[in-house]
Amino acid sequence: MLTRDHALMQRMAGGDVSAIGELYDQHARAVYSLACRILRDPGEAEDVVQDVFAQAWKQASRFDAARANAGAWLMMMSRSRAIDRLRARRTRLQTVPDAETLADAPEGTAGPESRAMTAQDATRVRAALASLDDAQRAPIELAYYEGLSQTEIAERLCQPLGTIKTRIRTGLLKLRSALAGG
Amino acid sequence: MDHHELRELTGAYALGALSEAERRALETHLPTCPECAQDVRDAVEAAGALAFAVEPVDPPAALRARVLDAAARDPRTRAAKPSDAPARWTLLPYLATAASLAAIGLAFYAVELRSRIGALEERVRAAESATSGVQARLASLQSEYGAMRRSATILAASDVRRVDLEGQPSAAGASAHAFWSPSRGLVFAATGLPALPPGRVYQLWFVADTAPVSAGLMTPDDTGVATTVAPPPGAGTRVVAFAVTLEPAGGVPAPTTTPLLVGKL
Repeated sequence: MLTRDHALMQRMAGGDVSAIGELYDQHARAVYSLACRILRDPGEAEDVVQDVFAQAWKQASRFDAARANAGAWLMMMSRSRAIDRLRARRTRLQTVPDAETLADAPEGTAGPESRAMTAQDATRVRAALASLDDAQRAPIELAYYEGLSQTEIAERLCQPLGTIKTRIRTGLLKLRSALAGG
Repeated sequence: MDHHELRELTGAYALGALSEAERRALETHLPTCPECAQDVRDAVEAAGALAFAVEPVDPPAALRARVLDAAARDPRTRAAKPSDAPARWTLLPYLATAASLAAIGLAFYAVELRSRIGALEERVRAAESATSGVQARLASLQSEYGAMRRSATILAASDVRRVDLEGQPSAAGASAHAFWSPSRGLVFAATGLPALPPGRVYQLWFVADTAPVSAGLMTPDDTGVATTVAPPPGAGTRVVAFAVTLEPAGGVPAPTTTPLLVGKL
């Protein structure tokens, strides 16, 4: 998988348009689906897809297959651009972390990207998400798909801020172990 | 905020849900703290999975072409520019030499090719209904027909570009044009080729980062014209140029002489 992504990115960096066609065929549906879920607007979701692939084309030479697989990279871009657009509809708070920001974290164990999801794992992810309590799942979904801050989530759910912080933390830990457990 | 307070924020950070002040505080802390950095990585992994938990929706069919066109039009993409000077160029004897390709444009040329294919199809049908004595002629027509159909497919590819080859001092009167589509293959035509010495043949090469790959053998007709159509070499080969060399009849696995025609992408 990683070698194939690396070869594809090299071809894109070399100007091979058929390579971006292959990347599109593999990942456009997932990129578009996420943008649709976040923006609830097909026209804006299409713009996100174009932006994501345009960015991938321009940055193909900088893609490091040792740190990420192409799918995870594209999905990160899709979410960040979709949330940015969503927040432009209201006041922006925190900049959504993208792959470049998170790259500054110190190295240690193997990066999570090497174990990142593929679209084929969608059923498994949905099942893992369903295994969370509603109380934990709701703030996580509001943060991820609606781009709300912890403060906004607390207001929306009529909960104290401290409670929301704890539930997001434990919810994500539980999600991660549910995914690892298979 | 101290380390323990900041550690509580790693999940929300991965989700982009921190306030500006909290984000700055955590980002200052992260480069110094492998524990929190690992927490962030783990949270990013879990959050990343959420990308795939959504209802799948197919993008509109037309979006693919827009994405590819945008990439092709990006200034970074190298595209061969068609030459400004009109070129007199003969392809197969069946095809018109008339106006230059720059004037006609590739699309029209492909249309012209298709109409010639239609005429050729008629000739194949006529040949098929004839009696004995035409089998050799039929086989030759069918192979030319196949080559022309492959040419049309290559010329119609969205990633096709033109490469002009120049005659080297050993064949100063020769020139050639190639239409190269990395996804579909190569259409190649040369003019002004010297007649072949006995026991020799012209061989066309894909020149790549690694070793050259043969693109086929050519024998010029008595006007010095030779043409060929070739599929692209393997996916791992990145073509940077084309070259023609003179080789022993039957071809060789690797060039043994210096090229008499060369053209770079």
